[in-house]
Order: sequence, then structure tokens, then C-alpha cells
Amino acid sequence: MTRYGMLIDTKNCIGCYACRTACQRQNGLDGDVDYIRYEERETGKFPHVRIEAVPLQCMHCEDAPCVGVCPTGASYVDDTGRVRVNEEKCIGCRYCMAACPYGVRVHNKATGAVEKCKFCTAEAFEGKAKTCSCVEACVTGCRVFGDLDDPDGELARAIVEKNALPIAGDRTKAKIFYVR
Amino acid sequence: MTYEPIWGSIIAWYLFLAGVGAGAFATSAFLSWRHPEATTMRKVGHIIAPIAVGIGLVLLMVDAEAGFQNPLRFFYLLGNFGSVMTWGVVFLGIFMVVAVAALVLDLLKRPVPGWLENVGAVLALCVAVYTGALLGVCNTYPLWNNALLPILFLVSALSTGAASVLCVSIVHHADEFNMVGVLKKFHFCLPIIELLLVASLLFITQSNSEAGYQSVMSLVAGEWAVWFWLGLVFIGLVGPTILETWLLFFTSEKFEKSRLAHWISFASDAGVLIGGFLLRYLVVIAAVPLPVATPLL
Repeated sequence: MTRYGMLIDTKNCIGCYACRTACQRQNGLDGDVDYIRYEERETGKFPHVRIEAVPLQCMHCEDAPCVGVCPTGASYVDDTGRVRVNEEKCIGCRYCMAACPYGVRVHNKATGAVEKCKFCTAEAFEGKAKTCSCVEACVTGCRVFGDLDDPDGELARAIVEKNALPIAGDRTKAKIFYVR
Repeated sequence: MTYEPIWGSIIAWYLFLAGVGAGAFATSAFLSWRHPEATTMRKVGHIIAPIAVGIGLVLLMVDAEAGFQNPLRFFYLLGNFGSVMTWGVVFLGIFMVVAVAALVLDLLKRPVPGWLENVGAVLALCVAVYTGALLGVCNTYPLWNNALLPILFLVSALSTGAASVLCVSIVHHADEFNMVGVLKKFHFCLPIIELLLVASLLFITQSNSEAGYQSVMSLVAGEWAVWFWLGLVFIGLVGPTILETWLLFFTSEKFEKSRLAHWISFASDAGVLIGGFLLRYLVVIAAVPLPVATPLL
């Protein structure tokens, strides 16, 4: 079974927003719509301060609260473990946005439907198409995409090696792992 | 990150109107049980119920923009019985059928059978509780994610529904208004219960998380404080309680049946309706989600 996931190494993230810009281009989004949002945090005490930027996007949770509350079945988990939105079924009630603990779903003002990160980079990973996704765009190589069920894959090895963890523990069984 | 509420006043209106409609039908059913002589008031309830819920549903559809642009998508609404919203669609759908049936029987001057009143009353309770559960299952928002909210919305629905029926009957059927003593006493108790529920909700929520604390503070001492204290607490709950206490227990029966007393009652019921809307609006708008307050970091 394929189970797509991602690793984000925030220790190398410089907060340049290149991933968001690439994502907007890849998905044809307007400038004010973003599938990736950032939390920034200051750690340490002056003068030894570090600013940590944490890019957040759909975590493709296994226990996805958005899928649970969606009344039309528009939100679903596909057979590669990605959480998807079938726009043909979405009525735009935004219940999923209220249920998402990560606040990473966006309401498209033009279509009225709800959208979010699709793990579009999977197409490039599978060799089906070229993408300009967050993974390719990251200038410091923070992001690794791959199959969590492939123990010899780059992703699984990197998660073990760097001790990467989901951002909020096991709360929703998120499939994005952070190094922090 | 600054946070923008996901739902706004349209959803608050919908939650309020669904509550009023459900409460109005429940009031009619109550009247047919305890005050069968108040036939016109019962009909008033039957008229308000489908109209209020109907307007609420239209607002809901307008707010669901993607569905509004492609109405056929609303047929998918029965697609996930794990979702509270799907259950809401079921309850609202059946409730509307029953409410319209009762209204049509009234218009045809045929009696509404007791079983239909009872089925409608049970569905009305389901609708009222559902409006609270709809918000309640979002465990991102501490102000919503608790077992008090469905009960609070239920009490408010019964209270506003009865208030709407009483308001109309004061204007059009003052003679019947004087007869429905038991209804008035029940209606008198509801804002007091509601006050206790609001106080409990805020006490518990402020202690359960940072986001809960922020939500409560924005209500009692922050951005929404004026609306909360003046609108919800004073106009919506305490004011009606004071007026009705005075009218029911401290005035002569003669004064109670005077036109002046009627208009004081009207003011009190109008306050209940304003408070009912503000309750929904404030609960929707003041809820702060967990990831913003404690950004999972």
C-alpha cells in the first residue's frame, strides 16, 4: 500500500515563502489564497534568540476530522492516504474548516468551494508530470516527500534519522512529520 | 496569525431562525395539550414554524456558496451519516414536512391530529438540539466543544419560539393571551435556566484551555463585551425575567390583563428574541480556535 507523507525540516527553513509561491503557481491560486500558512515563533532569550518558521499545510491526517464532518462526502481519503476534496460535491458549508485543527483549509471566493493542499507533488514523485511544488521549490531542501510504507525509501529513513514528529503529536495521525 | 471567524452573521441568523421555528412548533404542541381553548395561538405557532425555519434554510443555502452556484450538489447532503450536518438535514427535512402539513390542515380548517403535533414536537426538539451539536462537535473551538451548548440552544429555542408566538398573540389575539397562564409560567422560567447555562458555559470554558479563556474574555471583557452584557444578558435574559416576575407575581390580575401590561409583556418577549439572536451570534463569532491561541508549537 502506498501511503504518502512528507517531512519538513524547520531547522533549515529560512521562512522565505518560496514553497507557498510555488504552490500558488502550481495550483493556479490567486495571491491571497494559500494552501501553506506559517506560524513563527521566537525561542531563547536575548541575545541568543532564534526565530523558527513553521510552514503548515494539510497534514493528510489518517483520522481526518474534516472528512468526518463533511455532510456531502466531498472530503475523503484516497487510496494513497491523501485527504482530497471532490469539488463536484462540495457545497461550501465550511464545516470542514471549522473542524480542521490546523486551520489549513481555504475557502475559494470564486467557486465558493473549500480547497487545500493536494500533495500535488505526488505526480512528480510518480513520474507522471513535472510540478513546481513546495518540495521542488524549497531553496534549502527542507522538504522530503515519499511513501511512508516504504521502509527503504528516502522519507522513512529521514524520519527515523532526524526523529521527525507530527506537529501536534498523534492527535489526528498526521502524515507530515516535522524536524524542530 | 490573525484569525477570521469561519462563520458569520448569516449562520447565526440560521441557527436563531431554526430555533425560533422549532420552539414555535413546540409551543403549539404545548398549547394543544395545556390550553386547547387557545386555538388561534396554536395556529400562530403553526404559521411561524415553517416560515422561520424556511427562511433559515434559504440563508443556509445562500451561505453555502458552492452549493448555491450548483444547487444539484445539495442532493449529496445525505452523503455522510457520520456528520452532524447530515443528521440536521434529515431532522430539518422531516420537521418541515410536518410543520407544513400542520399549517395546511389549519388553512383547510381541519383539525391537526394529536399524533402529528407530538411527532412535530419531538422533531422540533431534535432540530433545536442539532443546532447546538452542529457547533459542539468541532473540537477545535473550546467555546463550542462541550455538552452544554446543545442544551443551551434547546432552552433558547423553546424560549424564543414561545416569545414569537406570544408577541404575535399580544398584537392580534389579546383575549387568548390572557388565557394561557401555564405557558407564560413556563416561558418565564426559560431565561432563568438560560442564564445559568450561559454562566456555566463561560465558567467551564474559560478554564479548559488558552483558546477557551480568550473566547470567554472577548465576551465578558473584550471586543464583544457591550453586546454580551447589554444585549444578551440585560435585554435578552435579566430584563425579561424582571419584567415577567413583576407582571406574574407582583401585580393585580386586573392590571395583568390590561393593555399596558400586554405591551410590557411584548417588550419582554421582544427582548427574549433579541437575546436569542445575540446568543447565537456571539457564540459563533467569539469562538477562538485552539491552533491560533496555542499554535501547536
